[in-house]
Amino acid sequence: MKTENILQAESVTQLLENKADKRLPGDLAMWFFILAELTVFAVFFIGFAVAENANMAMFAEGKAQLHKVAGLINTIALITSSYFVALSLHSMRKNNAKQTLRHLGLALVFAGVYVVLKLWEYQALFALGIHIETNTFFTLYFLITAFHFLHIILGMLILAYMAINVYKDNYNDPTTENEFSGFESGACYWHMVDLLWIILFPLIYII
Amino acid sequence: MLKVWQGFALSWAWLLILTLVSVAIGLYYQSTAFNRFAFISIVMLIIAMKGQQIIDIFMELKHAPRLWRSVMLAYVIIIPLIITFIYL
Repeated sequence: MKTENILQAESVTQLLENKADKRLPGDLAMWFFILAELTVFAVFFIGFAVAENANMAMFAEGKAQLHKVAGLINTIALITSSYFVALSLHSMRKNNAKQTLRHLGLALVFAGVYVVLKLWEYQALFALGIHIETNTFFTLYFLITAFHFLHIILGMLILAYMAINVYKDNYNDPTTENEFSGFESGACYWHMVDLLWIILFPLIYII
Repeated sequence: MLKVWQGFALSWAWLLILTLVSVAIGLYYQSTAFNRFAFISIVMLIIAMKGQQIIDIFMELKHAPRLWRSVMLAYVIIIPLIITFIYL
């Protein structure tokens, strides 16, 4: 769908049903990067499930020591952050820079909630004498969640970079084919980080 | 007619409800220890439903080329399926 069609769209139905002109949001390279990231995490998820199946008692004991409420709050924080990123892209397309900045700011605040809570969780485990070499469960727990945590940090840097570009009015270049492509790529990266947590949270904290 | 921001808000609310449902099912399983396979299947189904919302609505792949949408949707269906079968 071309940018002007999106700008004209007043409703979700209108936006979703305009099938004539399908377009991948963001840069193609970003989508290949997203697929590569998803593949790496798929190996982690499957590896975790296989290891759990082989050490049910150890994993049950390890999971019992995790702070489930912190995991739940982190899930809500990431979902909410993703929601604000989606809104920021919509505001961007309407050329409303002020609203875009506000939404990006809120997305960063909720991402910050995740960062603070995750660090608190790590600190609480360290205080109990639990670390990456405690057992297989905690090796995988720290490996997977810390790797995801690094993606969150990178995502926050990308969101901050997007906000700076909005502030400097760098996305308003009508001479390019799609002036919002960079913004869309950043937004999709953030949604991918959210998508990974959607799988990670139930796998590690719930089941 | 639903505005774009209202669509996003509905998706956010749906994701929140699904998250709370999966946590509630987890707590119920801990207290009753009902069939583990059924429990994991339900949680994995919820993962797929949440993934679909993020891919179609937040990532806006609902109106992207079919191949890309299919690849992304396949991820949130196949990975939970594999995990479910591992726990069988």
